[in-house]
Amino acid sequence: MKKAFTFFAIITSSLAIIMAVLPISNLAILPSIAAIIFGVSAFYVSKKTGTPKKIIQFTFILTFVALAISGYKAFFTTTIVENTDVIDAKEIQFEEEAIQELEGLDINDADFTEIDTQEID
Amino acid sequence: MMRLPFIFALIITFNFSISAQNKAIAAGEKLTFTASYNMSGILTDLAQVTMETSEVKTSKSTLLKLKCTAVTYSKWDNFFKIRDIYESYVNPKTLKPYLYNRDVNEGSYYKNMKYTFNPSNNTVKSIQKKKNNKIEQKNLTIHSGSKDIVSTIYYLRVLDFKNMAIGTNKSFTILFDREEIKGLITYLGKETISTAIGKKECYKLAIGSSEANVLKGKNSNYLYLTADENKIPVYGKFKIPVGNGELKIKSATGLKN
Repeated sequence: MKKAFTFFAIITSSLAIIMAVLPISNLAILPSIAAIIFGVSAFYVSKKTGTPKKIIQFTFILTFVALAISGYKAFFTTTIVENTDVIDAKEIQFEEEAIQELEGLDINDADFTEIDTQEID
Repeated sequence: MMRLPFIFALIITFNFSISAQNKAIAAGEKLTFTASYNMSGILTDLAQVTMETSEVKTSKSTLLKLKCTAVTYSKWDNFFKIRDIYESYVNPKTLKPYLYNRDVNEGSYYKNMKYTFNPSNNTVKSIQKKKNNKIEQKNLTIHSGSKDIVSTIYYLRVLDFKNMAIGTNKSFTILFDREEIKGLITYLGKETISTAIGKKECYKLAIGSSEANVLKGKNSNYLYLTADENKIPVYGKFKIPVGNGELKIKSATGLKN
C-alpha cells in the first residue's frame, strides 16, 4: 500500500510541477491536491511500519514548489496580448479591399430607411 | 479551436425581429472580452475577443463596419496561436449585411471566407481561400433574413426584450461556412450579475443550435445582455464538445447611450 501511495504521490507531484511551468499553471492545483493526499497517506502508512520516508518528503517539496509557482503566476502575472502587428496590417488591408468592393455594389438608398421586420420563428 | 470564435459568436446570436430599430449600436464602440476555458472547475484565460464598430464611407453611402477579433493571450501563442478577424459591412439602420469577411488564422490552419450579399435576390457570392492558395468560388441562394455571423450578433442588440414574455422561443438563421445554420434562443428574464464594468441588470438568454457539433446540451448555453438601451453582451457561458467556456466583458467604450 505504501508503495502505491508513494508511486502516485511522485507521479502527481511531478505532474503538478510540469503544469505549473506551462500556461495552464492554475490547473496545477489539481495534481497538487492529489499529491498531498497520496503523500500524507504514504507518510501515515510508512510511519506505522517505520520505514524511511525521504522520497515522500521529496514529493511534498515538489508539490510546494508547484503551488508556489502557480500561485506566483496567478497573482503577479497579467494576461496580455502581444504580436498583433500581422492582424493589424490585415485589418487595414481588408478594409481597403472592402471599400473597393462596396463601391461596386448596388446599395439602394431605400435600404437605409427600411427597418428589417422579418420574423423567422 | 477552429470554431472557437464562432461558438462565442453563436452564443450571442439569433435573428428575429419585432419592429427592430438600431438604437443600440453606433460607430466607435469597442467591447473587449476575455474568453476562458473551464477545466475541472478551474477557468483558464485563453484569448481576448474584441467587438468594434466603425463608419465606412463609399462614394454612394455610409456603412457600419462591425468587426470581431480573437487573439490568444501571449502565454498561449507558442502552443496555439489564434489571430482571427470576422467583419461585416452593414446598413447602419437595419444591420443588413452587404459584405462579410472571415479570416481565420489558428496555428497551421488558415481560411478566408468572403461573402458578397445581394439583398435584392437573396443570393450570396462566396470566395473561400485556404492555406495552399486554393480559391473556391460559389454562388449561394439564401433565405430572406439570413445573415452572416457578425451582423447577427449585433442584430441581437436591436431587439426589444422589454416587451418579450419570459419563455419566448425564437429561431434564427446564420450563413456560416456556406451553409445556413438554424439556432434557437429562449428569453429567460432578467438577472443581475457582477461584471468587470460593474453590477448589471441583464436579459438572460438560453441559446441552442441545430448543429450538434457546435453547442452541446439543452439550456446549457447562456448569454447575458445589459438590460439598458445599449444591450451589450457582458457574460456568456457555453458548453461545447470539448468542455465548457465563458466569455466575460473586460471593458466597454464608445457606447451609444
